[in-house]
Amino acid sequence: MHTNKKECVAMLLAGGQGTRLYSLTRDLAKPAVSFGGKYRIIDFPLSNCINSNIDTIGVLTQYKPFDLNQYIGNGQPWDLDRLNGGVFVLPPYMKGETSDWYKGTANAIYQNIEFVDKFSPEYVLILSGDHIYKMDYAQMLAYHKEKGADCTIAVINVSLEEASRFGIMNTNADNSVYEFAEKPKHPKSTNASMGIYIFNWAKLRKYLIEDEEDKTSQNDFGKNIIPKMLADGQKLFAYNFSGYWKDVGTISSLWEANMDVLNTSSGINLDDSAWKIYARNTAEPPHYVGKNAVISNSLITEGCEINGKVVNSVLSTGVEICEGATVEDSTIMPGAKICKGAVVKYSIVGNNAVVGENAVVGDTQEGMVDGQWQITVVGPNAKVAANQVVPVKAMVD
Amino acid sequence: MNNAMSIIFASDNESKLNELTLHRTTASLPFGGRYRCIDFALSNLVNSSITTIGIITRNNYSSLMDHIRMGRDWDLNRKNSGIVVFPPYASNTSTNVFKGKIEALYGILDYIESSDDEYVVVTNSNIIASIDFDDVYESHVASGADITMLTYNACPTTSRRVIVESDLSGRVRGMKITRNASEDECELGLFCYLFNRKQLIQLVSDSYERGKIDFERDILQSNIDILNIHAYKVKGHAALVDDIKSYYRESMAILDTDVRNSLFDSAGKVFTKVKDSVPTRYYSGATVVNSLIADGCKINGRVENSILFRGVVVEEGAEVVNSIVMESGKIMKGSKLNFAITDKNVTVTEDKALSGSDAYPVVVVKNKTV
Repeated sequence: MHTNKKECVAMLLAGGQGTRLYSLTRDLAKPAVSFGGKYRIIDFPLSNCINSNIDTIGVLTQYKPFDLNQYIGNGQPWDLDRLNGGVFVLPPYMKGETSDWYKGTANAIYQNIEFVDKFSPEYVLILSGDHIYKMDYAQMLAYHKEKGADCTIAVINVSLEEASRFGIMNTNADNSVYEFAEKPKHPKSTNASMGIYIFNWAKLRKYLIEDEEDKTSQNDFGKNIIPKMLADGQKLFAYNFSGYWKDVGTISSLWEANMDVLNTSSGINLDDSAWKIYARNTAEPPHYVGKNAVISNSLITEGCEINGKVVNSVLSTGVEICEGATVEDSTIMPGAKICKGAVVKYSIVGNNAVVGENAVVGDTQEGMVDGQWQITVVGPNAKVAANQVVPVKAMVD
Repeated sequence: MNNAMSIIFASDNESKLNELTLHRTTASLPFGGRYRCIDFALSNLVNSSITTIGIITRNNYSSLMDHIRMGRDWDLNRKNSGIVVFPPYASNTSTNVFKGKIEALYGILDYIESSDDEYVVVTNSNIIASIDFDDVYESHVASGADITMLTYNACPTTSRRVIVESDLSGRVRGMKITRNASEDECELGLFCYLFNRKQLIQLVSDSYERGKIDFERDILQSNIDILNIHAYKVKGHAALVDDIKSYYRESMAILDTDVRNSLFDSAGKVFTKVKDSVPTRYYSGATVVNSLIADGCKINGRVENSILFRGVVVEEGAEVVNSIVMESGKIMKGSKLNFAITDKNVTVTEDKALSGSDAYPVVVVKNKTV
């Protein structure tokens, strides 16, 4: 039977400003930031959904939504242009006399209860638009059903040092959660919440309404909904995920994640016909490699023109590397141009930025640990003047 | 140009592409790393707002159907226009596949009649060029022509060519249909025309009923004094692909930056079927010089003066020089290609050498293992 009903609806939180990405998110929402040559961050949760047979997705947008809205369009690149279901962009809207911006993650879903109700789902999958990972949500849903849970939270094992930066789930032997600690100083476990939740919709609906009535609440899943459900003795389970997962919320982590795509042993393999990551195509010709180009250990995509040297780098659509220019250990976003003789190392160069002739951007770094790389950023549309030197960790707007 | 429809011929009887079109139409011949020949015609039309497009096929059209699907990749999945592929045997009274363009057009006259567009673009699918039909239309109106024929400058080859002689006003005064190669560059027809729709219907009906077969000879050449036929010389790079030699030459021409800019950096983009390939990965053993590389390749060997289509693998120590490797080709360790064209899914196993020449590149047919 084909009805409007969907077993599981995904709600993708894509409204965050992404302030820690600085100029990279000045004019666009974080999920719309370019990644891995021809992708945007949001391609990962969207592709995961369609690969997990979840075909109804609400994308909650708020901050600088135009690029993201245009990018998602009717959802066709992800096979999400459906007669029933598909992808829906959900900005805040007027309701009777009132209208509100999304106050927090839980409030964003609260304001769209009517949308979810239209599909009468048993389950709602809550996702965020700032992580790079490949995950089969269908397996997580099967686990949720098997455990008879009210809420299942995906967790990943992190190091003890890192644990203080995450929401930590303390669990019993059967993986049921007895305690949730948001960024604990002295973590009891290393099960970090990935910000991926499956709820029984009827139950979540009730908690969202109660949470909205509580004027002291910050209307946040991690800070309010999960602790409240725990306090009420609801059944919360942790779902262990062991694949590659990275929060790309900072300059350093965004750069690392791009380098991880280059490194075949990092665990993120994009070239996987069983789990394709889909993206909107820009109809550019194949890339051209010129007579004096040198390319090693790099990812290069359509529309690029390479006449210089590219080592350990990820080049996005339509990037131009002029003769005598060098790009090492960097990620260059769509449409950027590195002019003759310029040197770019350990940097992120934003969309349509221009690095002038013989300019020097960033420098080599040794022995850093993840999270501490001193990455130089040239912002979107920024221009680095000829011969200008942009030091390590500097940002050019 | 929103008052025109188009008819595209997917195959040409005259094609001498041999091995490369054993399994496909000329229209679906892979070209330029990620395209099929017809992508240029389709994109030119769409970029000029011509969105009612009929494609006439003759044989082996399944690869074309697979490529076009519903036309979505060209934004042609429309309610009120869009793409229609006509398989052969359109007419149930004919016992054979149509003999020529006149019969083929006659077979789909209903389709042409059902349109209310004023003009029709009739074109072959083996034209590699960026053509602005808005500009063609302006010239058509300004010249008061009945028919505008698109032309380009090139040397005649042993394939069928129409040599055009036009007067100062651009009116075509003479047409010579030839298969004689020559070293002298002259103005040649591109097999792409702008007609008034009603006049095309009239000309096709009359010619078919009189048993005429040849579009260029019987409709154009023989009416040269009666009809006002104007030539429109295509701006920028233009080429016809109709034998192995021209396929190889025109493919390699794209390595020239001016040619690439003319084809791809003009106002409109060239659209094709999207395959969601990953970016191409260069390993530490890669040496790539003067080459065009599509997405999804893995390169750990030497690639020089070559074109790699999507998903090609060049293993460590392999060499691809002056060659064209089509989709999913695999060139294994120590193998050497020089002046070779390998069709889709060809594997060249370890330490093999394939070598042809500029004029006669070696062709390896689809799905073969060498």
